[in-house]
Amino acid sequence: MFSKVMIANRGEIAVRVIKTCARLGIKTVVVYSDADAGSLAVEMADEAVRIGPPPAAESYLDIDKIIAAVKATGAEAVHPGFGFLSENPKFAERLKAEGVAFVGPNTAAIEAMGDKIASKKVAADAGVSVVPGHIGEIADAGEAVKIASEIGFPVMIKASAGGGGKGMRVAWDAKEAKEGFQSARNEAKSAFGDERIFIEKFIEQPRHIEIQVLGDKHGSVVHLGERECSIQRRNQKVIEEAPSPFLDSKTRKAMGEQAVALAAAVDYDSAGTVEFIVDKEKRFYFLEMNTRLQVEHPVSEMITGLDLVEQMLRVAAGEKLKLAQKDVKFDGWAVETRIYAEDPYRGFLPSIGRLSRFRPPAEGDNGFGVVRVDTGVVEGDQISLFYDPMIAKLATHGDDRAAAIDSMLAALDLFDIAGIQDNTPFLSAVCGQKRFRDGALTTGYIAEEFPDGFSGVAPGALDRRMMIAAAAFAHVTAVRRAARATGAVAVSHDLEREDWVALFNGERAAITVAIDELGATIDFPKRRGARLETQWRPGERVFSGELDGVPFSLILDPANEGYDVRRRGARERIIVCRPRAAELRASLPEKVAADTGKFVTSPMPGLVVSVAVAEGQDIKAGEALLVVEAMKMENVIRAERDGVVKAVAAAPGASVAADELLIEFE
Amino acid sequence: MKEIVEELERRREAARQGGGDRRIASQHAKGKMTARERLELLLDEDSFEETDMFVTHRCVDFGMAEKTIPGDGVVTGHGTVNGRLVYVFAKDFTVVGGSLSETHARKIVKIQEAAVRNGAPVIGLFDAGGARIQEGVASLAGYADIFLQNVLASGVVPQISVIMGPCAGGDVYSPAMTDFIFMVKDTSYMYVTGPDVVKTVTNEEVTHEDLGGASVHAKKSGVADGGFENDYEALVQIRRLIDFLPLNNREKPPVWDSYDDPERPEPSLDTLVPDNPNTPYDIKELIVKVADEGDLFETAPEHAQNIVTGFIRLEGATVGVVANQPMSLAGVLDIDASKKAARFVRFCDAFNIPILTFVDVPGFLPGTKQEYGGLIKHGAKLLFAYAEATVPKVTVITRKAYGGAYDVMSSKHIRGDVNYAWPTAQIAVMGPKGAAEIIFRADADKMAAHVKEYEDRFANPFVAAQRGYLDDVIRPRNTRKRVIRALRTLKNKKAENPWKKHDNIPL
Repeated sequence: MFSKVMIANRGEIAVRVIKTCARLGIKTVVVYSDADAGSLAVEMADEAVRIGPPPAAESYLDIDKIIAAVKATGAEAVHPGFGFLSENPKFAERLKAEGVAFVGPNTAAIEAMGDKIASKKVAADAGVSVVPGHIGEIADAGEAVKIASEIGFPVMIKASAGGGGKGMRVAWDAKEAKEGFQSARNEAKSAFGDERIFIEKFIEQPRHIEIQVLGDKHGSVVHLGERECSIQRRNQKVIEEAPSPFLDSKTRKAMGEQAVALAAAVDYDSAGTVEFIVDKEKRFYFLEMNTRLQVEHPVSEMITGLDLVEQMLRVAAGEKLKLAQKDVKFDGWAVETRIYAEDPYRGFLPSIGRLSRFRPPAEGDNGFGVVRVDTGVVEGDQISLFYDPMIAKLATHGDDRAAAIDSMLAALDLFDIAGIQDNTPFLSAVCGQKRFRDGALTTGYIAEEFPDGFSGVAPGALDRRMMIAAAAFAHVTAVRRAARATGAVAVSHDLEREDWVALFNGERAAITVAIDELGATIDFPKRRGARLETQWRPGERVFSGELDGVPFSLILDPANEGYDVRRRGARERIIVCRPRAAELRASLPEKVAADTGKFVTSPMPGLVVSVAVAEGQDIKAGEALLVVEAMKMENVIRAERDGVVKAVAAAPGASVAADELLIEFE
Repeated sequence: MKEIVEELERRREAARQGGGDRRIASQHAKGKMTARERLELLLDEDSFEETDMFVTHRCVDFGMAEKTIPGDGVVTGHGTVNGRLVYVFAKDFTVVGGSLSETHARKIVKIQEAAVRNGAPVIGLFDAGGARIQEGVASLAGYADIFLQNVLASGVVPQISVIMGPCAGGDVYSPAMTDFIFMVKDTSYMYVTGPDVVKTVTNEEVTHEDLGGASVHAKKSGVADGGFENDYEALVQIRRLIDFLPLNNREKPPVWDSYDDPERPEPSLDTLVPDNPNTPYDIKELIVKVADEGDLFETAPEHAQNIVTGFIRLEGATVGVVANQPMSLAGVLDIDASKKAARFVRFCDAFNIPILTFVDVPGFLPGTKQEYGGLIKHGAKLLFAYAEATVPKVTVITRKAYGGAYDVMSSKHIRGDVNYAWPTAQIAVMGPKGAAEIIFRADADKMAAHVKEYEDRFANPFVAAQRGYLDDVIRPRNTRKRVIRALRTLKNKKAENPWKKHDNIPL
């Protein structure tokens, strides 16, 4: 086994690899860019080497700098994590030439599988079923449109070198094929430095199910079952689970065998993933093989009890696999959600800034199942535009799927993030949906369930009561404390008051709140004598307790009027006040918000890449106005209504702040 | 006896009706509450004791003799906020537009006098049409009587004004002399002369809102210390403010049970100051992470945002916070920031509230606009206010403390009691680049090296610490603990200024 390993990556995966190395007694080295100088990975590693400025091309993608760092530190092996150089055969080759082990498969396997066009040929030759599509390079947009028409719409346009959704577009007609080709190529160029594109049939109602494989240098390959990753947004995975609620044992076996056959065909000698697209008839087609550790590997680890990073290190060191296919056992169910720095309420646009608050839930058993948190950030870290917006992975394991989901929901309720926007409300909303619990997944799930984007969910009756109970307990506790402050000459009626009114969502509910040592007894309009037990104290943002014996947690944020309460994807302003105050407040007319429809503002901080319109131009709703790049993603800003452009305030190349005026309509 | 009691109740009921149902409905339609409704919200339930309910005006001119005006357009009395005594008056717009008569003024003066005598704050709710023209000079005399009481009460009891409707002409000067003015957005405005007169005199066309709305005074002019969305929010927030304030200048600030650990570390503060000295950060994160339960009542949050002022609690007791805000104009001191902070510091000093100062200041703002506007004297106000303050003063320099602004921001030299710095502090006459360019003017070729040389020498807190200008260099994560421990030592601080009739602050 190695005595010192370098991790040529950053963030949570660097931390993840360090943890396993530490457990195995292997010394670790990380490389870092200036943006990560104070990162958790740098702090945890035994050694850290600066490799350049924040842009990945000048740091994490710079092979020479990383090789230099390997030499300087004497690392015997390099774990590439995922992304960056993890599937770059040139990097693997360089390491080999330097006599350093690459913790990944052999170069030939990377080359064969790394290119989507080449990999399909290999797969087809190995007897794996593939999706109809165009294999070969595409010269320009015109050719792309022609090929797309031949395959038949809808088609998927992808970067050859891509993975993880970057540089991917679906086109439903020739116009979109043209647009999609151009933007996919731009993104492919900036993300991978390789602008080759290919096109294939887009399968409707598909599920994304992938097989984890593991091979060694001695000819053994096993598979570790499947993961279902159908919950995706813009082809970026959001929620993954293992096993899949869809597969029967026959399909599972067939997919596993094909995956192993493909791996064997390229002498695969590390952990890898064979991705399939599965249609509603359980027909499956080979999509691609990722020759690296996958982001969502924790769910496989949780059901198999294996440490995939350990396995990768062992086979890279030349050890034989200690398990055969018959030794692979599956236990329970695991779900993973990806926590992204993005604003779900504003079209999931990237959110950057300082993580002024970052308190993940505790790891371990939370009553429903076991919680695992993989993250590379700590409170106070800066979320920059330079890298992937994923800040953490939350994984839970339960005896069955329901337990794993319940455990996930409970864990998400406790995840307290502030300073930037994050997608936890959205994740909670999805995990709380009946369709999700039923396992009726497709890769179109998010688009189908949230056609107009995400605007929060309406809380159910019990959730609503929990939210009101928390706000009421907090308010009454605060009022009683205030009434006991020094300097009082009279006893405020509020000190003993039990009759209160809760205002929420335009509704009014008369409640009584009788506070005691252990919590409170609360009468709701439709539930008398509800029992709240809690240890909550003023100032705590996470409110945990039990309502009628049901444990719950929520986020409670004091506002100028009342509290902003968040739970399970719902967020409500809840005002608790005395009955007379509620009456008086109701006498005030609601204020009408000013009309801002004339202005198009930047939904996030970023860089203006191009402006598609000019002053005086007539615009139809939905038309592209300009492109703002943030976190390496090109975001097309479209007109929300018809109109004539009065002024264009943004120029290409300008960096813009969130809410900065871009375009004004007449 | 029964008839007599009934007569009392009948009269009370008539007075409570104010201007009658039609005017009350019109008040509600404008998004405003009536005077009595506002007092109900402001005060603890059933705590309001009304005085002078039966006062009527004495005017006989212009047919006023026949007109009875219940309460004469203002509701006065006292009540409690969370059990603590406050005196209140609320202009009643439904009664002759809340206009001010001689007797109306007398009611307010009576309240002001009682408040000073009994040591309790005065809260005035403004929503009125100005002087009662029919009364002429008697009305003007009434204003002056109120003004005088405002001045006498200043520094004795806190005075708070809430503008909840029109407030123009003579009406504006009483709020102007109180400690805090708050406004309700969209429904209130205050100005010396209204749009009509402005048009006549200067030919300027301007709306009430653009001339004196909350959007003007809470942001641009700084006349107001905050704008609230509606009457309800405003009054709830005034209650919250009262919870922070001592009732008079003989009292210590109120204390309540704190549920927050005084030793609570905040590791993320270690990374609050960015590596690049020119990158901004939000000083409010520091304030909120130091404060009990993250609770900050910010005053003038939208005006002069380059300095943050407000109240927090530490171990349950009120502390005033002043902090340069790098997010806005790099935290520079300009005319507006100096005035805002100076007034806040003097309020704290007048009412025995300890002052916690967080410093990250690159200096005073240069330019003709500032100099022509009198930055010298306005900046001096803040220096003066800090220097004369005898309350406990704890200062933490987080990053820049350059030039005269270093002296101003509660430095050791002007009687800072406990002065700390973070390791990221740079205490110097100016930034390294500017300094090197002066010192090494003749050696421009090696400027980068000279900047580095100056940086190494002064861009740290240790030069100041060696001289004792700082008591210690502290880890950012321990700021709450260290500030609390410092304030504990200052609980019985005794410091006095030489006897004087009063000082002569550079107004």
